[in-house]
Amino acid sequence: MSVAPDRGARDAALERALLDALPDVMRFARALARDPTDADDLVQETYLAAWRGSRTFRPGHDARRWLLAICHHAFLRQRERAGRVVVTDDGTEAELEALATAREHGAALRDGLEARLATIDLAPAIARALDALPEVYRSAVVLVDVQDASYEEAAAILRVPVGTVRSRLFRARRLLQAALVEHARDAGFRSTPPLPPGPIAGRDETT
Amino acid sequence: MTPSAPRDPEPIDCEAAVRRLWDYLDHELDASRGDAVRAHLAGCAECRPHFDFAARMQAAVAEAHADAVRLDVGDVASLRARVVSALRAVGPSGRG
Repeated sequence: MSVAPDRGARDAALERALLDALPDVMRFARALARDPTDADDLVQETYLAAWRGSRTFRPGHDARRWLLAICHHAFLRQRERAGRVVVTDDGTEAELEALATAREHGAALRDGLEARLATIDLAPAIARALDALPEVYRSAVVLVDVQDASYEEAAAILRVPVGTVRSRLFRARRLLQAALVEHARDAGFRSTPPLPPGPIAGRDETT
Repeated sequence: MTPSAPRDPEPIDCEAAVRRLWDYLDHELDASRGDAVRAHLAGCAECRPHFDFAARMQAAVAEAHADAVRLDVGDVASLRARVVSALRAVGPSGRG
């Protein structure tokens, strides 16, 4: 015969389920807040909100997803309290972003910039570009590219429609690509050797 | 009745393939739409570089972010203790 667990046992089980997800929540919070101290505060706020709102959580549900949703909500509230603008305009059709990304990549190919990207260290440029992304875009990138969430899972965590996740994600990647191309342009500019004096073989001097 | 042979994916043009760029790389397309992109890429030298670069960028982003949020075991243990202490200070769950 099964006995309904008492409240203490239920809370102990809930605490275990929540704490099992702690590393994922920490990574998500750090990716959002960027500053480790702010991120740890955000994690604590997340867990307290989850604990107080535990009636909305049912045993067997995905604790990680539930916590990430609470974490993202808490983060946006923090930003709003701090007077930070939270971009929420998602009017762009996602597939147009994909088309524009390919078109801009085509231009970079023609300019020889894409080849340069293959030879330089992208990590600093990507890290800077990620930092510069508006929060709502970065959240989508973090969930899909770092946490391996599906669009549907990301939508549930961000509490937006799947189409909004796609728009944000595709826009974010277009912005990241633009930042990388700019980085390649700057790197090429810095590494261009000074022109030697006199005529240069192969250079078009006919005009 | 004999089982039908697998059909070739419906041909798509470059624009249709590129519209599916990220859905394809994120494995969000159903099998037939994904096959159509794959078949297009196999025969299109114009589109392949876009997809290859997008995949490279995606991998680099994941790597950069993973580096940025790499956790130290001590940090996790310390925050875990802090969270547990905060939860216990609140008392039983569900009082919100």
